[in-house]
Amino acid sequence: MDKEKILARVCKVVGDVLGVDVTDVTAGARFVEDLGAESIQSVELVAAFEEEFDIEMDEDAALQVRTVATAVDFIADTIGKQSSE
Amino acid sequence: MGRRIAEQFKQKAAAVCPIIVYPEPEDARILEAAGRVAAEGIARPLLVGRRQDLPQKLAPGVGAELICDSERLAQFTDQYARRRHLSDAVAARLVRKPLIYGAMMVALGHADGMVAGKNHPSALVFQAAVVAIGYREGIRALSTCFIMVVPRLGGRRDVPLVFADCALNVEPDAEELAAIALASAESARRFLGVVPRVAMLSFSTHGSAGHEKAVLVRRAAELANDRIRDGFVEGELQLDAALVPEVAHVKLKQQSEVAGRANVLIFPDLNAGNIGYKAVQYLGGAQAIGPILQGLAKPVCDLSRGASVEDIVAITAVTALQV
Repeated sequence: MDKEKILARVCKVVGDVLGVDVTDVTAGARFVEDLGAESIQSVELVAAFEEEFDIEMDEDAALQVRTVATAVDFIADTIGKQSSE
Repeated sequence: MGRRIAEQFKQKAAAVCPIIVYPEPEDARILEAAGRVAAEGIARPLLVGRRQDLPQKLAPGVGAELICDSERLAQFTDQYARRRHLSDAVAARLVRKPLIYGAMMVALGHADGMVAGKNHPSALVFQAAVVAIGYREGIRALSTCFIMVVPRLGGRRDVPLVFADCALNVEPDAEELAAIALASAESARRFLGVVPRVAMLSFSTHGSAGHEKAVLVRRAAELANDRIRDGFVEGELQLDAALVPEVAHVKLKQQSEVAGRANVLIFPDLNAGNIGYKAVQYLGGAQAIGPILQGLAKPVCDLSRGASVEDIVAITAVTALQV
């Protein structure tokens, strides 16, 4: 799956979970500073990404994901690893 | 832990004997600790986890619950989705995660407290606790404290003190520092059974250094002093003025309910707090009990990854005392 497609789906998921307008969710947006996420919401974002992409994400590593763009990279990596297993 | 204090905690916990959830049954020390908790009657331990993580054989008195077979999943999913405004599909994924499943058990009254963090970063334990259980009324942030049992202080031996915040809030502002002080005062009342005498620590005593960092601590002390019930707060104070009556007498030149006899020490930021508790532990030979989470509606305790069986049993007693 190419990253443009992942980005579009990530933006929609982030909009739903954080209750923000999807047009505000851009690749460069930071979850906490720009999108108003509470730090406690990363576990919920991870679960929403897992549901959307049907993957299992490493929660410890996912804690380090702070922007939409890094989330897209992380998901692309996870999809790559899990499809090659 | 000072043996006497450890025994007191265990005895008090045994009088309540609550159900404590352990969502990390894959860890050998957790299993051993759960067995000891049951054998000593401190609490009723309940392991929750995935099939591959639960042991084949349980120690006497230790319960176990397999998440994937649980009849509670539908209720947990429904409650979680509603409370957090998420879809059922996402909520269903979340409540299958052992930390959140355990926290939901506590939130909905199926268990009384949770002990976790042996195999998870503290941040994930805190998240599970806040999303599932939430804050205590009037509190909007978590903080942590340690009970430090100091071998000698003045002429006394095995003196218990509360230290905060040593593990969570990096750079609290005056409001946050005041909230940490009030939550820690409550912990002192609850765990040590003392009237809290809270010293807000700085490198300055009552304006002796006019630096903005000291002014922030003084402001926090004023805020906390306005709100505390059944206790005393004073700041800013240097550590020696907080603990040593002779120094307090020289530096303050006035009567004080806190200076020289503080039993709760509030550090101005996480640099000071984390270094402070470790200095007392490793250089002073004190026993450190914690970090104890403060500010949740129901008790959850976070373990360090290096926690020993003895630590886990002690933290279980601390959790049980908050029920």
